[in-house]
Amino acid sequence: MPDKSLKQRSLQQLQAEEEFEQQVRLHEALLHKVCRLYAHTDADREDLFQEIVIQLWRSYPKFRGDAKRSTWMYRVALNTAITGLRRKKDFIQSYDPAMLPMQQTDDNSAAVKEEKLKEMYAGISQLNEIEKAIVMLYMDDKSYDEMEEILGMSQGNLRVKMTRIKDKLRQLTKQS
Amino acid sequence: MELDELKQTWQQATIEKTSNKDIMELIHQKSYGPVAALKRVFRKQIVAMSLIPLILVVTNLNNVSAVFTSILFWCYVAFCIGIIVFAGYNYHIAGKMEEMHGEVKQNLEQQVNLLEKRLHWELIGLRAVLIFFVILLETVPYVQHYRMLDKWHSLSPLIRFGAYAALAITQYVVNRRLSYHKVGRHLVYLKGLISEMR
Repeated sequence: MPDKSLKQRSLQQLQAEEEFEQQVRLHEALLHKVCRLYAHTDADREDLFQEIVIQLWRSYPKFRGDAKRSTWMYRVALNTAITGLRRKKDFIQSYDPAMLPMQQTDDNSAAVKEEKLKEMYAGISQLNEIEKAIVMLYMDDKSYDEMEEILGMSQGNLRVKMTRIKDKLRQLTKQS
Repeated sequence: MELDELKQTWQQATIEKTSNKDIMELIHQKSYGPVAALKRVFRKQIVAMSLIPLILVVTNLNNVSAVFTSILFWCYVAFCIGIIVFAGYNYHIAGKMEEMHGEVKQNLEQQVNLLEKRLHWELIGLRAVLIFFVILLETVPYVQHYRMLDKWHSLSPLIRFGAYAALAITQYVVNRRLSYHKVGRHLVYLKGLISEMR
């Protein structure tokens, strides 16, 4: 009898692990984005990714489904990046071209766009941790409702912050 | 360049993988985050403090009755129990700090609250240890004779209590510096983020 329940438990565990893996794979890009924005070197990004996955797995049983899966993943990823793995060197101090997303540039306009994107990334890297999170959610086209649910800031505050961040980025890209 | 113009480019950009490790493999690895490291330290403290009185008994097996009748031994056991309780409390706090599924602001506030609570109790604990130590040094000779305390008690009470006061001041200064170095800077950083979110 105990053998049977043990088998059943390990089967359930295996099912949960597989389900979890599918969920992570589905939203993997957002985790890599968080790692690219918050960690400085390749090794730090890998460490942060590992830490986020471990934290996601730990909080997986507590995820009740009353929030969207992506919301839950954003929360865990941002919380881990901001508070869970803080060492000074983990944070991007200056412009790092290696953090830019890869994109093929086949024509001149694409190259210009790419250049502008690089400038913007350089600007984003100079924002503080909260501003980075707001920009990331905004760029990922999250509604203010969802941003509020993830960050816990009021929508009014988020809108004010967003306007300020846009101004700040405009200034930063002008300077560079 | 406006952020809105870059939205599409951002969403279409292929993000390079930051790790090629298998997810199933990752979830079975242990966390190397600072909170997990703290938990490991507290676990080790609990184990060490549970073992030390046992080691004392084992190393004095030929004279166990002397160990058991020694007031210093029982004071040491009490001290170890105190440390175990405090390490257990810290372990519990660190466990709460590991919860990362809440809203970012709520999570930051919880981290600050828990860290401040921990610092507060650490301060109380350290003062209690000092008072315990002073009471022990001053009262033990009236109950049991220890040669190592004779020299100390041959000094005038003014010198002895002056030394205790100096020890208390040193402890206060060192603890302030250490706690700022260990968690104070992190607390300032977290509080800065919270005020940023208000």
